[in-house]
Amino acid sequence: MRHFLRPGWILLFLLCSLRGRSQDSASIYVNQILQPSADSVRTNAIHRLVALRDPSTFPLLMAINDKKLYLLDNKAVTTDSKPSGDGNYRLYTVYPTYQLLQNSSGQPLLLPPGKLTAVDIPRADRLALVGIAPLLNLFSNDVQKRMLAYSQVGNLQDQSTLQLVAAAVNRETDENVQRIGREALYAARLYAAKDETNAKVYIDSIALNWSDNAATLLTSYSKEKAFSPAAGSYALAKASRLEKKYDNLQRIQNLFSGLSLGSILILIALGLSIVYGLAGIINMAHGEFMMIGAYTTYCMQLVFGHQAGDWFYVAALPLSFISAGIMGLILERLVIRHLYSKPLESLLATWGISLILVQTARLIFGDLTAVKTPQLLAGGWQVAPHLTLPYNRIFIIVLTLVMVLLTYLMLFKTKLGLQIRAVTQNRQMSACLGVETRQVAALTFFIGSGLAGLAGCAITLIGNVVPDMGQTYIVDSFLVVVTGGVGKLAGTIVSGLGIGFFTKISEAFFQAVYGKVFILLFIMLFMQYKPKGLFPDKGRIAEE
Amino acid sequence: MKTNNKPLYYILFVAIFAILLPAAYLSGLLSINTISIWGRYFCFAIAALGIDLIWGYTGILSMCQAFFFCLGSYGIAMHLVLQKTSLPDFMAWNKITELPFFWQPFHNAGVTFALCLIIPALFAFFIGYVLFRSRIRGVYMAIITQALTLAMWLLFLRNETNLGGTNGLTDFKTLLGFDLSSAQVKLSLYLVSFAVLCLAYIACHRITRSKFGKVLQAIRDSESRVSFTAYKTANFKLAVFVLAALLAAVGGMLYLPQTGIITPGRMDVKASVEMVMWVALGGRGNLKGAVIGALLVNFLYSLCTSWFPDSWLFILGFLFVLTVLYFDKGLIGLVATVRQRIPGLHFKTSQTTNRYVADSK
Repeated sequence: MRHFLRPGWILLFLLCSLRGRSQDSASIYVNQILQPSADSVRTNAIHRLVALRDPSTFPLLMAINDKKLYLLDNKAVTTDSKPSGDGNYRLYTVYPTYQLLQNSSGQPLLLPPGKLTAVDIPRADRLALVGIAPLLNLFSNDVQKRMLAYSQVGNLQDQSTLQLVAAAVNRETDENVQRIGREALYAARLYAAKDETNAKVYIDSIALNWSDNAATLLTSYSKEKAFSPAAGSYALAKASRLEKKYDNLQRIQNLFSGLSLGSILILIALGLSIVYGLAGIINMAHGEFMMIGAYTTYCMQLVFGHQAGDWFYVAALPLSFISAGIMGLILERLVIRHLYSKPLESLLATWGISLILVQTARLIFGDLTAVKTPQLLAGGWQVAPHLTLPYNRIFIIVLTLVMVLLTYLMLFKTKLGLQIRAVTQNRQMSACLGVETRQVAALTFFIGSGLAGLAGCAITLIGNVVPDMGQTYIVDSFLVVVTGGVGKLAGTIVSGLGIGFFTKISEAFFQAVYGKVFILLFIMLFMQYKPKGLFPDKGRIAEE
Repeated sequence: MKTNNKPLYYILFVAIFAILLPAAYLSGLLSINTISIWGRYFCFAIAALGIDLIWGYTGILSMCQAFFFCLGSYGIAMHLVLQKTSLPDFMAWNKITELPFFWQPFHNAGVTFALCLIIPALFAFFIGYVLFRSRIRGVYMAIITQALTLAMWLLFLRNETNLGGTNGLTDFKTLLGFDLSSAQVKLSLYLVSFAVLCLAYIACHRITRSKFGKVLQAIRDSESRVSFTAYKTANFKLAVFVLAALLAAVGGMLYLPQTGIITPGRMDVKASVEMVMWVALGGRGNLKGAVIGALLVNFLYSLCTSWFPDSWLFILGFLFVLTVLYFDKGLIGLVATVRQRIPGLHFKTSQTTNRYVADSK
């Protein structure tokens, strides 16, 4: 057996030696750095390693640069930049390979920095690394650093640098970073290209790769660095096409945020509209129920703590509905039931309530708090390179869909819904026919406030939680109610979406503020033709 | 109560504010700042008269009176700024080298005064025309005017509109050549405000008793019946809307030189609801109520914000709720009820109530 194996060994040895003397000399220098016989030897070794530019030594150099080089059982190791729980760090070997250290049970080995022997490299020696720091970062395990490094590596016309960058791009795992890296490479080759076909190939590659500043890059190429007018105009054409494509995607993105804004408006306006239709109450405190929902979510985050992960949000969804609903019920009993069918009076009284609620929230919670987005909803669905639909907005849209569906079923398929519709149409008549109008009104108020609370819970995903958050939405949602027609489910949905879309679209053209003025003018114009909203009642019930 | 048949209360009111307060200042009992603060309250009261006309007497809840108030203030403020410099500081910071066209007319004092009245009137006319034509009323009216105020507030907050943005306009020196920081000027502004308030009150009083005023009240009580009797209600509503806007603007014009600053904060949603609340608290459908409400709430505001700043919003909120729930007719109504309950005063109130009933019929 041994006899046969021997040629294999020899082959392996040969291969190793083929990789050249650099490997050998690198390991010698590494040893000299870790166990220097004299300071000058170490200084020399570091300078030599920098000059070698061997990617296999980069983890070690990076560890030196970051002052994170340690010795563990005489092996050179480095740590993560952040502790993975309780001040313990994961460890990696740095040379000859970069590997995560594991304990006997196959789990990552976790140790506090105190258990490690730090290898002290004087500042003067570390300064030698400044020149190649961007290159080192190309191989960093921090995505942000890698992303940044490509713009810092400097002159890519230098062949050795170019090779290193190419190597880095090849081993890149993150899609976005790879795109940036490729662009840097293509750009370097494009600048070096001296004939038409080559240049066009690289221009095409850059356009195809389509990173964030591809268009700017191509435009500047066509203006300054193009070697022939033909290549320049080709690049310019590509750039403008990219920009157009980007604008279109941006428009889709805008429509999408319009959709999610519209969803929130629908969620708020739904309760408002039902309550107004049923009881003739203009509830200016409706926005504050939303605020209560948002603070319930915040409280859930506090109660569950950081360990529970996303569960706090799961709990907050029903709880924000219930807490806002109960608050609504209390207010209905105390104040609002005296004001049925007196919309203008109820407007003032509920405005007073909203002042009280806002001030209470301010006294309890202070001015600004935020709910962290659940892990599950972080990030987004990348539809195309420059079109990401955030999960939290998708979630809001889905939530609204579900709630609208439930409200529809509640209104049109249950006995309560039948009663609500009856009371909305004619209060006295329903009372005569044995409908407990007060109870129905109270329940409706509970549901309406609960929906607002849920909207508040949803809003924590996309904004801060502040005491007067309700007041930023209340006027808009009233506009939704007015445009959609009071007490009309379909009208609320259509006008909510319409106003949401319109806001976002006009924001794309004008600034947000002018968009708002525009919407208002539009609604005033619209009311000239449909003073009773989108879907007015017809026939007898239309009478006031 | 001050009604026509009891001049005593009117005389008392005028005596306190036109003679007693200035006398107290001249004898050193009150500081000029207190006088100036009351001068500002009078400006609010003038605007409140307008709100009472449109809401209390005509039944239209307009939430954009604060905006008209600010239009008046901003007009005067622009004039005062131009008195001082040819190009306001904030424009220089925003890298604007030339005065925008709409600032140009405000160089001239006469034109400024005219514009301060014409612009709000035109605005009110346009808004009112569009809204009343399509028979928007009640809640719809309230919501749309409120949204309008919100939109205008957002516009005024922007720097591009060249109206000073969030910081508003401030740091004025002279008005018509008078030094605004001097005590005499402040006192005379106070007296002018009071005089204007009295004039506005008398004018409004006349209006409510005229045929025009009766039609307004008829519209409040049943608009459809009025229109059935061949009155063009939209025109009446439009007229009173413009009138209320003018009153608000006059209030704003007088308000500015006394505070020395105008920011968009004066016209946000909160401020516009609050203005309506003055009238509700004093007693709507009653001009005295509007004046008393405006003076009282603002006086309470300055008391509370200096004594317990955190709780002002609580107090205001509870006042809103209590007024709406229990004192439908506001303070004036409350006083009337109390008088009726106390037998000794009964004969006096019966007169006034009769009078009031006769008025509104």
